[in-house]
Amino acid sequence: MVAMLSAEERERYRRQIPLIGEAGQEKLRGSKVLIAGAGGLGSPLALYCAAAGVGHIRIIDPDVVSRSNLNRQVLYTEADIGRPKVEAAAERLCSFNPDIRVEPVRESLSPENIAGLVRGMDIILDALDTYAARFILNQQAVVQGVPMIHGAVGGFCGQMALIVPGRTPCLACIILHPPADADVPVMGIAAGMIGLLQAGAAIRFLLGDHHTGLSELVLWDGSCGRLDSIPMERDPGCMICGDGRNAG
Amino acid sequence: MKITVRAFARFREFFGGQFDIEVPEHARVRDAVRAIARSRPGGGEVLLDAEGDVQRSVIVLVNRARVAGEARETLRLEEGDEITIYPPVAGG
Repeated sequence: MVAMLSAEERERYRRQIPLIGEAGQEKLRGSKVLIAGAGGLGSPLALYCAAAGVGHIRIIDPDVVSRSNLNRQVLYTEADIGRPKVEAAAERLCSFNPDIRVEPVRESLSPENIAGLVRGMDIILDALDTYAARFILNQQAVVQGVPMIHGAVGGFCGQMALIVPGRTPCLACIILHPPADADVPVMGIAAGMIGLLQAGAAIRFLLGDHHTGLSELVLWDGSCGRLDSIPMERDPGCMICGDGRNAG
Repeated sequence: MKITVRAFARFREFFGGQFDIEVPEHARVRDAVRAIARSRPGGGEVLLDAEGDVQRSVIVLVNRARVAGEARETLRLEEGDEITIYPPVAGG
């Protein structure tokens, strides 16, 4: 039995309960999300999941805040420079919404720790900055059958995809040959836009909409303010979610 | 024959968002991508690898269906086909 919303929660979410209902708000409160990466994408993702009332946020990142993060990593301030990102993020998110649980994990994703990090989560939010780490996350999403929302940015642009194991292409079907993970320039607004698209997709999915935005790669182009999408297909020979005949 | 190109992200900035190009009858996807590269000075560096093929990371669709691997070299295009090119990004 789900506990009723408190008077404080009803007041906090007064402007959105008419849209999602008290049952929807309770659903968000009972949801667990894994945010992999507490950087440019992780910042808006975490803030808007917290604002919406997602009850349990597990956020992973091994890094400390540096000054060059601050053009896009809006979770942090000048005073956080040198602090572990997940520690500063947890503090900010809990002061923003004290009703939620934030679980900071100061680790890098690895084949050794990934299963434990994903276990029990309702959705995975890819806010990483390398495809090597993204593929570790993607494989575990497929193994455990946990939906994942991919996001990536570069320059003024970005991309987003909702991955539902067994129903949509996985990340390895979409990205057959990853681009180089160079230290690419990124405008903060691109990370903000993609992070919000991911947060929106996550909230819709957690509320029970499992049909919108499947099997497409959403493209944001901030240089001309355009949002497009291109269709993506499952690769039956995918070595992660298919029969593996395309391995190697 | 004429085909339509849709380019996204930095390809849109470089080549334009949507335009038509002329390619020989029965041109393959690879030929069309090379024609796109030739349509702007410096286009080869943006779109092609050292062998003159489309860079492996680039997502290519023909009539909204993914074309990958060997099909980029073998699939023949027809008049009015639409080719989409998108360079995935990696940052977070």
